[in-house]
Amino acid sequence: MDLFLQLAATGLVVGSLYVLCALGWGLIYGTTLHFHVAHGAVFTLAAYYAYAAQKFLGLPLAIAVIGAIVAAALSGMLIDLLIYQPLERRGAIRTTLFIASLGLLTLIENLLAIIFAPDPLRMDVGWLAEAVQLGPVFLTRLHLLSVATAILGFLALMAFLKYSLWGQAIRAVSSSPEMARTVGIDLRRVHLLTYAVGSAISAPAGILLAMDVGVEPYRGTTFVLLASVAVIMGGIGSIPGALLGALFLALLENLGVWKIASEWQSSISFGAFLIFIVVRPRGLFGRKIQSAEI
Amino acid sequence: MRTIPSSLFLLALLAGMTTTAVPAAAQGNPIKIGAILPLTGSGASYGVWMKGGAEMAAEDINAAGGIAGRKLEVIYEDHAADASKAVNAMRRLVEVEKVPFSLTSYSSPTLAIQPIAAQNKVVIMNGGGQSDNLANKDYLYNNIPVVSNEVGVIATWLAKEKKLVNAVLIVANDEAGRNSADTFREKFGAAGGKVLAEERVALDATDFRAQLAKLKARGGDLLYVSSYGRNVSIIADQARELGITIPMAGTSWVLVPETFKSKGAEGMLVTKLPFDPNSAFAKKFKDKYKTNAGFFAVQYYSATMIFAKAAQEAIKKNAGALTGEGIKNAIESIRAFDTLSGKLVFQANHGAVMDIEVGTLKDGKVQVEKVIKAAP
Repeated sequence: MDLFLQLAATGLVVGSLYVLCALGWGLIYGTTLHFHVAHGAVFTLAAYYAYAAQKFLGLPLAIAVIGAIVAAALSGMLIDLLIYQPLERRGAIRTTLFIASLGLLTLIENLLAIIFAPDPLRMDVGWLAEAVQLGPVFLTRLHLLSVATAILGFLALMAFLKYSLWGQAIRAVSSSPEMARTVGIDLRRVHLLTYAVGSAISAPAGILLAMDVGVEPYRGTTFVLLASVAVIMGGIGSIPGALLGALFLALLENLGVWKIASEWQSSISFGAFLIFIVVRPRGLFGRKIQSAEI
Repeated sequence: MRTIPSSLFLLALLAGMTTTAVPAAAQGNPIKIGAILPLTGSGASYGVWMKGGAEMAAEDINAAGGIAGRKLEVIYEDHAADASKAVNAMRRLVEVEKVPFSLTSYSSPTLAIQPIAAQNKVVIMNGGGQSDNLANKDYLYNNIPVVSNEVGVIATWLAKEKKLVNAVLIVANDEAGRNSADTFREKFGAAGGKVLAEERVALDATDFRAQLAKLKARGGDLLYVSSYGRNVSIIADQARELGITIPMAGTSWVLVPETFKSKGAEGMLVTKLPFDPNSAFAKKFKDKYKTNAGFFAVQYYSATMIFAKAAQEAIKKNAGALTGEGIKNAIESIRAFDTLSGKLVFQANHGAVMDIEVGTLKDGKVQVEKVIKAAP
């Protein structure tokens, strides 16, 4: 039982990072229908921004983190502004955007590897790294912070989409771009906003990872892959779906180790995804996936 | 029309003859050798030592007039612990650079390039990888003992003297990690110990909490870390974070700067191969690279020096020509080489034997408790 609780807690911590990544990716995909794999690069960039701000600019941790989140949001917007929007204006199909996104991901990852070396960078977090014991479960303060960040991120995103004018515009575009355009919503501006919000909400995941075990340039690929799996499982366009999908994957990965040899850990989630996509293609809460959308 | 090309041909032939006639000239082509090392990735700390050691050896050799008057040039390649990268590097060294010799490191990469070495008659010398499978391989020499010697020493010490008899294992899922774990099982069992559970992890992973939680639940009085490089310190820290309080143990593989700095690794029971941190070499290394030298710096200094001596001999025997086959024959005929860590004698299995020390990791140092002398 102790082992179960520990694995569940570890899964929850890893899951909170998956959740943040999936919320951002899912919001962007649900709204723009861009299969934005370069989101992985934004995730990694956020970690490197925070690392650089702390290490090279000597900023206090909290300021470095806030700066990195803003910089990540701007990076996401720039990708839309400089890459996707020009391509869309020229009538590029979704596959073209996807290939461009993949190219950008590879480019940024390799640039980071050249500038910072391919080894993981770990941020200095001081007392946050200390262990805490909750009954039979051992975690660090940083882990509790990760979980709290994911909960806050989720609630803030839900509130933003529901109550703010801009959030409502995003929802309108997400449910029907044509209808939104008819009522006078500027799609390009909503897309830009979506990239800013989506990138800002995933940025803490990269930063928290850099604080916990370190981030290397290629880490974003794994995360964006898991995020897309989580979003598709949860149902495209559904924010609670993305949350549940991400948590499900993380718990499955960690609890799976209980009974299955641990070298299979990363195969477990993708195996489950394959079964899921065949059995329930529309995900938990979402609309049915059209092959043209992927 | 015909006379001009043929006289040109003759001239070229003459020119060719004169260059081969004076191979020992100081202005001759440099002798190029390769060095395939973990320059990036989880073992980058070993790479700093290995490259530094080889560089210092090359400088010393060149300062003393080179090898038979020719300068030594080392071409460094990165395998990042990846066998396929090592193969690409080896192909480049053999086909493009045409080296007769290369330094190599790590078990999987070395095993992957050995067939290329044997096929092309290029000697490779490994000063870092320790899988038992590295022994008895054509054109591969190891100036380091295979891991079974070291694992044998620590397994017996843990079970017999430290009275730790129920072990759980965390194992890097590669040639070196698995081989060391298998040997540990065998030797620990022979010394009266028992292995309760084993978890395999990726060498480049950074989160071992699920595996450690599983091992914690199995109980046991010893966590044996059959891994190496950066991840040892992460494993140690995460184990302590999860409330694992039993002693940890590992071979000399775990002795990298990250482990020395890790709070979790304090008190780890380890083996150590002979290295004197106060030697003139270690001081020179620290001045040059601004970081403490380690065992592997000496290893690659020695390996490069062994090459220089063998190459000198090969050039003398083969009328100035230097081939991999010549180097191999020279190593076989010299056998005993003077190195910074004493006399090294290559065994019939192409490996070396060394004294092995056991002790405890404390304040960034190994406090040696006992030295097990190498069997003659």
